Amino acid sequence: MTVDRLNDEELERYARHLSLAEIGEAGQRKLKTARALVVGVGALGSPVALYLAAAGVGTIGLADHDRVRLSNLQRQIAHTTAGVGRLKVEEAARALGALNPEVRIETEPVFVSEANAMSVLSRYDVVVDGTDSFQARYLLSDAAYLLGKPLVHGSIFRIEGQVTVFLPGRGCYRCLYPEPPPPGAIEEARQVGVFAALPGVIGTVQAAETLKVITGSGELLVNRVLLHDAMAMTFREVRYRRNPACPLCGDHPRIRALVDYEAFVGSAAR
Amino acid sequence: MTDSRHHRQRILPEVGAAGQRRLQDASVLIVGLGALGSPVALYLAAAGVGRIGLLDDQRVELPNLNRQILYQDSDQGRPKVEAARDRLRALDPSVQLDAIVENFRPSNAGRLVPRYDLLVDGTDAFETKFLLNDAAILLDTPLVHGAALQWGGQVLTVLPGGPCLRCLFREPPDPGVVPSCEEAGILGAVTGVVGSVQAEEAIKILLGAGEPLRGRIFQHDALRAENRTVEFSRDPECPVCSRHPRIRDLARYAEQVSARGHVLV
Repeated sequence: MTVDRLNDEELERYARHLSLAEIGEAGQRKLKTARALVVGVGALGSPVALYLAAAGVGTIGLADHDRVRLSNLQRQIAHTTAGVGRLKVEEAARALGALNPEVRIETEPVFVSEANAMSVLSRYDVVVDGTDSFQARYLLSDAAYLLGKPLVHGSIFRIEGQVTVFLPGRGCYRCLYPEPPPPGAIEEARQVGVFAALPGVIGTVQAAETLKVITGSGELLVNRVLLHDAMAMTFREVRYRRNPACPLCGDHPRIRALVDYEAFVGSAAR
Repeated sequence: MTDSRHHRQRILPEVGAAGQRRLQDASVLIVGLGALGSPVALYLAAAGVGRIGLLDDQRVELPNLNRQILYQDSDQGRPKVEAARDRLRALDPSVQLDAIVENFRPSNAGRLVPRYDLLVDGTDAFETKFLLNDAAILLDTPLVHGAALQWGGQVLTVLPGGPCLRCLFREPPDPGVVPSCEEAGILGAVTGVVGSVQAEEAIKILLGAGEPLRGRIFQHDALRAENRTVEFSRDPECPVCSRHPRIRDLARYAEQVSARGHVLV
């Protein structure tokens, strides 16, 4: 595909990225033609979407069915007090458009489920997980693998968070967590506390990985999970591999279409 | 009341109702409202820090907008502190904001620093970073240092008594040794990581919770996706935080330190 050269305003807006040897004008043009989907426009999706828009990712899809609540504003920096009660995707689209009018925002005000995930994800080149449930994490991982799309996973729990990148065939969420958490063992992230700036750290690492996926630069967090503890201020890395016995991406896959994630994860873990 | 603004933070055992009140009563001076200051300011305001000083003497320019997420396209030409104040008020109208259109200098440090509980370094000039470090030590005020360039960045926290930035890097680099952000470029998301880690550190210090990066430096390499913390010890010859410091007085700073932050011998 031939891409127009960057215009004068773009050369100025993205000057600090154009100076980076690993991005340059070719990389900036890749960003301009890229289509990234952010699923969940809350704690993680806020910094992800803001930094992708600032960087000039040409088309950003925002998928979330929720509305802004006052208690979101302690960490969801794409939203404002005036936006309380409004759809998160509409509010975030407004913030991203104000930051960078060059970027095209596509809002998907839907709950991403097995019923629509394949059609929503299929329209994008790379998917970023900004959700807060185990159902959604397995769903996005399965759908991204089945569609052959890279998935930038991130999650937070209280004072801890993690990031990894799933490239099709190089491991998936099921390789990392073959079984959902036992019923009752894990409190749903919706009900526990969250340390304000923690999703900033996790979400901006996700944004950086997404920009690397699009531009093909650097070494991705593939087969590695970054684990961050905000209170201890530690960063650890755990390696994992594609599991040959993985029911999704293993040698003898059994999962060839999306399943019922409520049933798989179980209502006890919700 | 589960939908109160800071509910999800108050229910953390590390914060609690007392911690949330401590944040409400706290004040932070953010020196530099650019790429690092943007996430710092947004997350401190979101977390419920009661009073935030916004110090910057520059205006918003187009090349800022690939990473400075506090600002909007329509803010171009406006003083950063004004645009930042509008953005932070939209997030939380109750946060008290001091807009200070100044550059941080030895001449105003003694007036500004004592009005705040904590300092956050959002600057991009080495001499200002070293001045902030020296002011933090001399005025017994905690400082969260951060820096970022190209694909990398670092954070460390200076608590009263040290160890400090000069224990690790005695002097700023000589001119030309480290290229500027303008020459070398910077990935926007890297400044997001560094600034968010700075915000975490600032909130922890205000709460008195967790393990700050005291005598430890966080080093981030986004290109390799490598993150680590490295311990360092106090330099017994440190020019500012050792027992026999050469930098002793902000009022006589020019006699003790060069215009670029080097210690005069």
